Amino acid sequence: MKSKRLMATLLVVMMMTLAFVGCAPAENTEADAPKENVDTKEVKDEAITLRIYAQYSDDDTKVPYDYAAQELKKAYPNVTLELDIQGQDDGQKLQTYAATGNLPDIFQVGTAQIETFKESKNILVLDDYVKSTGFDKKLHASAENLLWNEDGHAYAFPYAGNELVLIYYNKELFEEHGVKVPETYEELKEAVAKFNAADIVPLSIFAKEKWITTALYDVFATRFDEGGIKKLDKGNGSAKEEAYVKAAEHLHELVKLGLLADGATNMNYDQAASLFYEGKAAMFINGQWEIQASTEKLGDKVDWMFYPVVSENPEAKYAFAGGGAPGGYAVSPYSEHKDLAAEVAAFISEKYCEAKYMYRANPLLAVKVDPSIEPVEKFPPMMEKLAKELPNITSTTAFAWGLTEPKFKVAIEDQSQILLTEGYSPEQFIEELEKTIERLK
Amino acid sequence: MQSFFSNKKAIAIFVLPSLLLFTIIVFYPLVQIFIKSFYDWNGLSSGTFIGIENYVRLFDDTTFRISIINGLIFAAFLTIYQIGLGTILAFAASNIKTKAGGFFRIVYFLPVVLSVTVVCQLWLSVFNAEYGLLNKIFEIFGMSFSQDWLSDGNTAIYVVAFVNAWHYLGYQFALILAGIKSIPGHYYEAAQIDGASPLQAHLRITLPMLAETYRFCLVLAITGGLNAFTQMFIMTGGGPGTATYSLTYMMYSSSFRAGEYGYGMAAASFLVIECLIATIVINKLMAREKIVY
Amino acid sequence: MEAVIKKSNRKKVRTGDIIYKIFLWVYAIFSFYPIIWMIFYSFKNNDEIFVSNPFGPPGVLRWENYVKALTQYNVPRYFLNSVVISVVTVVLTITLATMFAYATARMRWKGQNFARIFVAIGMFIPIQSILIPLAVLVRDLNLANKYLSLIIPYTAFNLAFSSMVLYGFLRSIPVELEEAACIDGAGIFTTFFRVIVPNLKPAISTLTIFTFLQAWNEFPIALILITKESMKTLPLGLLFFQGQFTTDWGAMGAAMAIASLPTVIMYIFFSNQVEKAITIGGAVKG
Repeated sequence: MKSKRLMATLLVVMMMTLAFVGCAPAENTEADAPKENVDTKEVKDEAITLRIYAQYSDDDTKVPYDYAAQELKKAYPNVTLELDIQGQDDGQKLQTYAATGNLPDIFQVGTAQIETFKESKNILVLDDYVKSTGFDKKLHASAENLLWNEDGHAYAFPYAGNELVLIYYNKELFEEHGVKVPETYEELKEAVAKFNAADIVPLSIFAKEKWITTALYDVFATRFDEGGIKKLDKGNGSAKEEAYVKAAEHLHELVKLGLLADGATNMNYDQAASLFYEGKAAMFINGQWEIQASTEKLGDKVDWMFYPVVSENPEAKYAFAGGGAPGGYAVSPYSEHKDLAAEVAAFISEKYCEAKYMYRANPLLAVKVDPSIEPVEKFPPMMEKLAKELPNITSTTAFAWGLTEPKFKVAIEDQSQILLTEGYSPEQFIEELEKTIERLK
Repeated sequence: MQSFFSNKKAIAIFVLPSLLLFTIIVFYPLVQIFIKSFYDWNGLSSGTFIGIENYVRLFDDTTFRISIINGLIFAAFLTIYQIGLGTILAFAASNIKTKAGGFFRIVYFLPVVLSVTVVCQLWLSVFNAEYGLLNKIFEIFGMSFSQDWLSDGNTAIYVVAFVNAWHYLGYQFALILAGIKSIPGHYYEAAQIDGASPLQAHLRITLPMLAETYRFCLVLAITGGLNAFTQMFIMTGGGPGTATYSLTYMMYSSSFRAGEYGYGMAAASFLVIECLIATIVINKLMAREKIVY
Repeated sequence: MEAVIKKSNRKKVRTGDIIYKIFLWVYAIFSFYPIIWMIFYSFKNNDEIFVSNPFGPPGVLRWENYVKALTQYNVPRYFLNSVVISVVTVVLTITLATMFAYATARMRWKGQNFARIFVAIGMFIPIQSILIPLAVLVRDLNLANKYLSLIIPYTAFNLAFSSMVLYGFLRSIPVELEEAACIDGAGIFTTFFRVIVPNLKPAISTLTIFTFLQAWNEFPIALILITKESMKTLPLGLLFFQGQFTTDWGAMGAAMAIASLPTVIMYIFFSNQVEKAITIGGAVKG
C-alpha cells in the first residue's frame, strides 16, 4: 500500500513539473511573437498598426465601426486597426490602461473621463489636428459644444450629435382607452389613472439602467427650470431650489399613482421595450435613437410627444432633456504615431456619422454628412417630425454620460433610480443630492 | 520530535515561496490601498494628502451606512443558509450509501460549477416582478406574496444574498463533506456498537470533530458576505439607488464611477479591517472549543 | 422480538425520514435545473428569454446563437488559454498551499500564527480595489500579456483560501502519524510527502476542483489584465455581446454554455474518480 502511495505522490510531482515545463515555452512564444511583428513592421516603415479601444457589441456600435474600418482601408491602406472591445465596466479598463501607461492609440471617451484624463495628461490636446484635418469645417454649427471643451480645447472628435430624450407613445392604446395625449401634468395624471384602470402600464422604462432614470428626472426638472440637471452639474444651482424639489415631488407623486411597471427599477432594455412593443405599456422613454426600433415594431401606431408642461411654467414645451457633451474618439499622448492616430481618429468619427446617417436613420450627428450620401432607407415619420421641430427647441441639457462632474453624476444616477420606488421620499432625494452638491463647492 | 518539527531548512522551503508570492502580489497592493486612502486621488494624478478626511467623510455618508448594514445582512444570511443547509446536506450525502448518495454529492455542488453570470441571469428571471417564476407560482396558488423583489429597497438585498448563498452552498457542502470523510471510520464503528443512530453519531462525533472545518466555514461565510460584490454588480447595479450597495460596491462606485479613488480606498481599507477583526474574533471564540482526541 | 423493535423504530422514523428524503430530492432538482435552464437559454432569442418563455424549453432551437458565439471570437484559442491558466494555477496553488499549511499547522517556528493570519488576509481583499495597483505591478514585473500575468495573481489570491482549508484539515490529523514516521527514522520531507499528503487527499481533491473553477470562471482580473486577443480567456467572450444599450442575450447564453458545459461535464466525470480515491484512502486508513 505504501509503495502505491509513494508512486501516486511521485506521479503528482512529475505531473506538476511537466506542467511547469510545458507551459514555459508556450509563454515565450506568445511573448516573443508580437515583438517580432512590431519590428518587421517598423522596418517597412509603412504598415502601421493602431490600437483602438471602442464599443463593438450591438448594431448601433458595430455598423458604424465596420463601415469606418472599411473606409479607412481605402483611405489609409497602410494602417491596420487592432480593435480592443470596450466592456460595460464604468471605464475601469481604460483607467487601468492609463495608470499602467498602456493607453491604446485611439480610444472612446465620455465627458467625465475627459476631465479625469486631462488632469493627469493622459489625453492628447487635439486643437491643431482639428484645424489640420479640417474637422472644424465639417462640424455642424450646433455641435460646437461637442468638440470644444469648456476650457476651450478639443480632446476628442465627436460623432454623436445633440441627442434628445423622447417620450414615445402608442397612439392606438390612447385612442382605444379614450385617453388624451397629455400636454399638461394634470392630463398626464389622468392618463396614468385611466391606463392603470385598464391594466396597462402607463410608462415603460428600463430603470435598471441609471442613466435613463436620470433622464426621466431631467424631463421633470426641465418642466420647472430649463437648465435641468446640467445646471446642477455645472455647480450653478442647489438641489434645494424650488424647481428641483418640485420636479422630485411631481415625479414621485406619479410613481405612487402607478406610473411605472412592477419591478421597473430592475428591468433591462429588452424587458421594458417589449412591454411597449407588445401593447402592454402606453408610453416608453428612451433617446431619439429608439425611433428606428419602435417604428419597426409598431409601424405607424407609434409617435413621440412633447413632455407635458406644468401650470407653473407653461412655456417649457420646447425645453428638452438630453443633449450632447464633449466626447468621442480621443488620442493617447503617448502614442508612437500620434499625428497619424489623430488623423485617423478624426477620419473614423466622420465615417461614424456617415454610417449612422445611412444605416441607422440618425441625422443627429456632430459632423455634416456629404450631401451625395443618401440614407439606405427613408427616415421614419417620427424622425421627420423631429427634424422639423429641431429649430424650435429652445434648450437641451445633458445625458448622464454628458455630465462633467463624475461625483454629481453618481449621486443623480443613484438617487433618481431610488426615487422611482415608492418607499423613498422626495425629501431624502433632495437631501442626498444636496449633500453631494455642497461637498463639491 | 522537537528537532523534527523545527527543521529550519524545511520551514524555509515550505513557507518562503508562498510568503514571497503573497507579499508581492497581494500585500504590496494592499499597502498601497491603505496609503491612498489618505489621499484625495482620482486614480491617475499624483493626488494630495488629506489625512483622515476620507475616513471622517465615510462616517457621514448615508451610502456607507447602507453598505455596512447590507454587508452584515449578507454575512448573516450566508452563515445561516450555507452552513446550516450545507451541514444537513453533507450528513445526508455521507449517510446514503446507495447510488443516490453519489448523485446528491455531485448535484449539490453543481451550482458552484456555473459562472456567476449564468446564475445571476437565472435568478433575475425567477425574481422578475413582471414575468418571473416566483410571482407566477404565487399567482397560481392564489397567494398574495407577489413582490417587486428586486425593485423594493427592503427586499432586494435579501434576494441578492440568497442568490450568493445558493450559488456557493456547494463550497461549504464539499468542505463539510470532506471533513466528515477524513474522520477515521472506527469512531463511527464505536458509536454504532454503543447503539447510536446515524443522527446521534453525527451529533456526538462529526460535529465536534469538524470544529476546525466549521471555524473555517464561518470565516468564509462572514468575510464572503462582507465582501459581496458580483451579485450586486450584475443583478441590481447597487440599486434601486444605493439600496443594495455593499462596501466593495461602494468602493467600486466611488473609484470608477465617481473618480474618487482615494475615498473608495478608504472604504476598501475599512472592509479589510472589518474582515480581519471578524476572522480574529471567530478564531478566538472557536479556539476554546478545540478538542483533543 | 428483535424484528418487532426494529419495525416500531422504523415507523417512528418514517414520516420524518420521508420529509427529509423529499427535501433532499427537491434541493437536488433546485441545484440541477439551472444547467438545463442555461442550455434552454442558449437557444432562445431576447423575447423568449425575458418575456414569452423564460423557463421552458425553447420553441425553436436557435443554433445561430452558437454560430454567432463561435464566429465572433476565437473559441478554441480562448479555450486553450483557459485550460493552461486554470491547470497551472491549480498545480501551483495546491503545491504552495499544502507546504505552507503544513509549516503553519504542524511545525514550530516564531511567527507561525502571524504568517497564517497574514496570508489569510488574501481571502477578504476586495479584488476591485487592487486592480490598478495589480496592473501596474504586472507591468513592472514584465508579465503583461503572458499566461503568468493571470496565473500568478490567481495563485496568490487562492493561496489564502487553500492554505486555510488545509490548515483546518491538518489540525484534525493526529500527530501520532508523524511521530510514528519519525521513530521509523523518516525525515521531514519523506514524512510530508508519504504520510501527510496522502492523508490530505480529501481536502486536496476538493481544493483542486475549487481552485480550478475559480480560475476558469474568473472575470474581473482577466478583463483588466489581458489586453491581447490571443491571450484572452473564455469568460471574456461575454464582452462581444453586452452593449451599452442592448445585449444579445441568446448569443451570450451560448457563450456562457460554451464556457461552462466542459467544466460541468468534467466535474461530473471527475467527481466520481475523486470519490473513489477518497473512499479507498479512507478504507486503507481505517
